Amino acid sequence: MANSIRIENIDAAYGAVRVLEDVSLTASDGETVALLGTNGNGKSTVMKCIMGIVRPSAGRIVAEIDGVSHDLIGRSTEQIVDLGIALVPEGRRLFPRQTVEENLLLGAFRPKAREQIKKNLAFCYEAFPRLAERRSQLAGSMSGGEQQMLALGRAIMTAPRILLIDEPSVGLAPVLVSRTIDKIKELKEVYQLTVLMAEQNFTQAIRIADRGYVIVHGKIAFDGRSAAELNNNDLIRKFYLGL
Amino acid sequence: MDISYDLFINAVIAGLLLGGFYAAVTIGVSISFGILDIVNIAHPAFIILGSYIAYILNTTFGLDPILASLIVLPLFYALGSAIYQVYYQSFERRGQEALRGLAFFFGLLFITEVLLILVFGVDYRYVEAAYIGPSLRLGVMDFPLRMLVPCLVSLALFGALHVYLSRTFIGRAIAAVSQDQLALQLMAADPIRIKRIAFAMSIATASIAGALLIVIQPIEPSVGREYIGRVFAICVLGGLGSLPGTLVAAMLLGLFESFTSTFYGPSWAPAVSFGFLLLTLAFRPAGLFGR
Repeated sequence: MANSIRIENIDAAYGAVRVLEDVSLTASDGETVALLGTNGNGKSTVMKCIMGIVRPSAGRIVAEIDGVSHDLIGRSTEQIVDLGIALVPEGRRLFPRQTVEENLLLGAFRPKAREQIKKNLAFCYEAFPRLAERRSQLAGSMSGGEQQMLALGRAIMTAPRILLIDEPSVGLAPVLVSRTIDKIKELKEVYQLTVLMAEQNFTQAIRIADRGYVIVHGKIAFDGRSAAELNNNDLIRKFYLGL
Repeated sequence: MDISYDLFINAVIAGLLLGGFYAAVTIGVSISFGILDIVNIAHPAFIILGSYIAYILNTTFGLDPILASLIVLPLFYALGSAIYQVYYQSFERRGQEALRGLAFFFGLLFITEVLLILVFGVDYRYVEAAYIGPSLRLGVMDFPLRMLVPCLVSLALFGALHVYLSRTFIGRAIAAVSQDQLALQLMAADPIRIKRIAFAMSIATASIAGALLIVIQPIEPSVGREYIGRVFAICVLGGLGSLPGTLVAAMLLGLFESFTSTFYGPSWAPAVSFGFLLLTLAFRPAGLFGR
């Protein structure tokens, strides 16, 4: 059954500062979509609008979960997560004074996730062996790469159908970035997720993305229908490579 | 100084039993202050309220005070839930909890005390129960039941809450809520609801602690003040948010007080206890079991 997300013409502002203007994007069933842009262009705000953390002043956000459509605007973050949409937030936001395992178990708070807790926990430990080794260590005492793995694992524990990831590469060494990106691909395939990823590391994101959008100053500047099209686009070359 | 074996061993026993009781008095603050960051300075007043309710049920219906406290537990839970709601709407939601929230709980402390004085006066009240009076003797060791029963009830309370906080979904969310509320929302949990449940539980423990207090000593409305300093000291000494830490710290404080009372005189007890607290914090700022 289909899981997709569709953003239609949203505007958003922090007080008087306009952050998003007429943004539309879709992630269809089973797709991995990258939202590309450098810092301060509104990527995170798009994610926050989807999760009900920031309320758009105009437009619509519709999520289809297992074939049922839900209007997301006006719902609380808890309700949106409970529908089956998970966000791996920027900066990871783990519970630093809880152990690795406690963090993972907290992910399974919603009733639907509790049903699959054994299976998902076993999967997390298999996919991220480091987490299994450190299950009783405090999350705050782990390295950045390990914390990113834990944040991904914790999101999987919520048993999502749609996975949003905000800046998975931030603060990680290059070798860890590519490992993280590979893991996202693996998770997506195992759980047949629909993935929307905000990322500034263009070359890494485009490795696993089916499609991508480029956001500049709060507007969608380019809507790439394929990874190849993005790769050969002048705007992106200018934007990222300064050519 | 010549310390006899009997005196020494009985000072240890008295200290542990007293510590067990202190643990029950502190556990509520350990949840509200230690885990939720809510400076509920009125907690001892709710404990005294619990004592008076146990007193009423004991004198009018002849109910066992501890049983009585379990019967009114849901009422205390509801009271705690209501207090949190007011606190949240008036202070926390607006980010004014630091100073105004403290003033709010100070106000609750005085209001509760004054109400109790108006209703019951300032005479000391006590309860009747079979275990007040007799002692269990094992060789030279003496266990007054008046202290032993509260200690055992307190240990059971700790065990139950510890299991609840570490094994249930709500319990784990309670332990996490003050660390990152948005992250908790991303786990589909409503942080306000989680805090309300936890705060209500913390007030519910005051019902039991109140019954234990009136079993141990006769009470009047302002007795609770004696415990404010001790309760927060135990909470900080154990490490904020750690229930095992609270239990160990309470036992240590009980032992210190018992030893200083036995060998140097009771007036030195608070000085020694707080001296120990300061020394511990100098070397371990997070407390004994702090994370």
